[in-house]
Amino acid sequence: MDASEIEPLNQFLSQLVPFDSLSGSELGESIRKLSVGYYSKAMGHVPLDPANPQLYIVRSGAFEVRDGEGELLDRLGEGDFFGFPSLLSGEATTNKVAILEDGLVYHLDPDTFNYLRRQSREFDRFFNRAFAKRLRHQARFKAKELTTTSRVSSVMASSPLKIDCNDSIQTAARMMRDARVSSLLVTDNGKLCGILTDRDLRNRVLAEGLDGRLPVHQAMTRQPVTIHAAALVFEAMLAMSERNIHHLPVLDGDEPVGVISSTDILRSQGSQPLMLIGEIERQRDVPSLIGVSKKIPELLQSLISADARAEEIGRVLTSVTDALTRRLIVLNQQILGEAPMAFCWLAFGSQGRQDQAACSDQDNGLLLAHEPDDHAAGYFDALSHAVCRGLDECGYRFCPGDIMAQNPSWRMSLDKWQQVFDKWVKSPEPKALMHASIFFDMRPVFGPQTLFDALQDKVLAGTKDNDIFLAGMAGNSLKEAPPLGFFRKFVLERDGSEVKGIDLKHKGNALINDIARVYALSAGIKEVNTAKRIRALMELGVIGRKDALNLADAQEFIAHMRLANQGRQHEQGISVSNYLKPQQLSSLVRHQLRDAFKVVHDAQSGLRLKFLRSF
Amino acid sequence: MVSSTLIRPRLWWKSRRLNEPLLAELLVSQRKLLSLPLIEVPLLAIDMEMTGLNPLEDQILAIAVAPLQGGMIKLSEAQEVRVAIAGSVGQSAAIHGITDRELKDAMSLDEAMRWLISRLHGHIAVAHHAPLDLRFVGQGMAQVFKESAPLLALDTLQLERARLLRCQDVIKEGSLRLGACRERYGLPVYHAHNALTDALACAELLLAQLAAMGAWQQPLSSLAMLSD
Repeated sequence: MDASEIEPLNQFLSQLVPFDSLSGSELGESIRKLSVGYYSKAMGHVPLDPANPQLYIVRSGAFEVRDGEGELLDRLGEGDFFGFPSLLSGEATTNKVAILEDGLVYHLDPDTFNYLRRQSREFDRFFNRAFAKRLRHQARFKAKELTTTSRVSSVMASSPLKIDCNDSIQTAARMMRDARVSSLLVTDNGKLCGILTDRDLRNRVLAEGLDGRLPVHQAMTRQPVTIHAAALVFEAMLAMSERNIHHLPVLDGDEPVGVISSTDILRSQGSQPLMLIGEIERQRDVPSLIGVSKKIPELLQSLISADARAEEIGRVLTSVTDALTRRLIVLNQQILGEAPMAFCWLAFGSQGRQDQAACSDQDNGLLLAHEPDDHAAGYFDALSHAVCRGLDECGYRFCPGDIMAQNPSWRMSLDKWQQVFDKWVKSPEPKALMHASIFFDMRPVFGPQTLFDALQDKVLAGTKDNDIFLAGMAGNSLKEAPPLGFFRKFVLERDGSEVKGIDLKHKGNALINDIARVYALSAGIKEVNTAKRIRALMELGVIGRKDALNLADAQEFIAHMRLANQGRQHEQGISVSNYLKPQQLSSLVRHQLRDAFKVVHDAQSGLRLKFLRSF
Repeated sequence: MVSSTLIRPRLWWKSRRLNEPLLAELLVSQRKLLSLPLIEVPLLAIDMEMTGLNPLEDQILAIAVAPLQGGMIKLSEAQEVRVAIAGSVGQSAAIHGITDRELKDAMSLDEAMRWLISRLHGHIAVAHHAPLDLRFVGQGMAQVFKESAPLLALDTLQLERARLLRCQDVIKEGSLRLGACRERYGLPVYHAHNALTDALACAELLLAQLAAMGAWQQPLSSLAMLSD
């Protein structure tokens, strides 16, 4: 009897990709050729002998691969591999493998490795791909940015056809014919000034009898709606369906880099959230709308299982909530009649920040263009009650703190809203501010942007560089600390009794939201989404690039852990919560989580230093 | 068991008195290793299945070995042999899972002991609760050669007990079992139990223990024990 009959080895390797593709005898042969090593943190690095390359298979523990310059290339845990680049390229590696947590590592010799590559195409392909991937990451560790397929930039037609606005319409039409495209970007001095589509040629040129020799700017659609290259595909789709257009110029900064058409999108995916939003927009009464809303948990589960980025999931789910809210408003207006004045439906808190997850409460308010008379007050009372009740029935429970448009306190004219914010900003009492913080994450879901801007501009003018107010906000946001001590305790308690879970929301994401909010208000940034706030802060130089990227990564990682955990809870049929039981984590993930909390801790220190002038 | 200061003279004395050259050579080969640092010592993790726990009454059913040297376990040289017994495995099959049928092609005790001695030549035994296994080996030698040799060994249970006693007074029951010790070092949980799996488990535990103690450069003599 030999090592190939050792049950735990067999079990581990036979389920490990790509060893799972090997035949029974090849698997047995690989096990017999393994040697087992143990690396402890005290050693610092795994000693890689250039004269004796091996395939290293991590059985337990946690490791980090860094390149010669010390840049992080990969993090490894149970079932991961290292050492294969040298085996494949035959070159000595400059990479170093740091030991984060003690662990067992299996070593496979080059002869057996090459034998297995010859025996199994899958085995060979797996390591070639892993090698290619490692090379791509050589510049920067980007494991989290692999899900780019859902970005506009991955679907759009790049290097778009452009024409100067003074060229003739006929030239434009010829270019479109020759390139067989249905749209053309029109530029003025290299800058985008319009778009010319098949529809424009039909409606503005042929139907109007316009001369083909006239300059193109007379036929184009001016100042077209554009979208950023990094936007999500479904956001492009939304923009199109809201305005009934089929082409969007794609910008990177000011520069047009592509065009995305509805056909591109349809081709790219049969997208579930889009279909759900489309379905919401088609419903003709509230009961059927409530029926459609029952599909939201299913959407969340499929997004989680597709391993979408947490930030994307938050944006998708919030778009669905926004669509539901808008549809509820429209349906109720069909009953109540036209509004007596312009108004905005405001979303606060998580809906405002576009980071909704499972079982969100509603936080909303109503912004009226001016002080309502009795008739108008009655109209908005009826409308807001109907919409809030509808949301509740769609699964967005009434806000326990009563921050809802149906509460007359949060249904006010622009003047009154300005006064309320003014009071918070000018005489910031810590306790009042604590409750007020979610109001600063506000976003219009329905109604004219100009009305909303009038409120937001005033608020930001008051908060920007307002030291006393910012100190109050910063003080509040520092009341909770990330659970760093928890990890020390966790290591000690590993053998023993039950360990309580970590509250990923209140001790993690909420803290980052707070930090981003204080900085954004201090700099007068209009964005309310935390990731966008951080990006804007980075571009303005308020936060250093490295800190900003770290903070955004930490936000994404913690939120991702929270969603994955909730997906697991949902699967197991237990009630969904923000608590993560660390027993369920591999040591690698535990390390990453600790790193993420460390980033939050450092960012809090930075906040304290900047706004409280203390250490 | 013999305390470490007496190991050298006792080994020398014992090797002089042995009649069986195989055993005398084994002792000499082990004695040469005593002053080497552990990282250079060829080690051999051993685990056995027996019909019971009494070396005088019960019999060896299986012997498994997993060699390790320089901090690496060589699975290519890991091996388990079955040993034929007089009578039936009886009720003990419930524990080790070895049935009479599986012992059909087993080695005789004579062959098995000669095989084990050849594997041990130039190696130091490693076992979890080594005194028990070594008593069975001693009994086996006595049956085959009419005399038995003391063996040098590292006992992972003893190492663990010493480590635990350094930081706590009382050792909880069960906390020195192989699985419990492995868990403390975050080693994977092995559900299956047989001689070869346990020999590997014991070898891995030793790697973790020596790494945690920072003991790889210590001489073998500082941690080794000698069986009776």
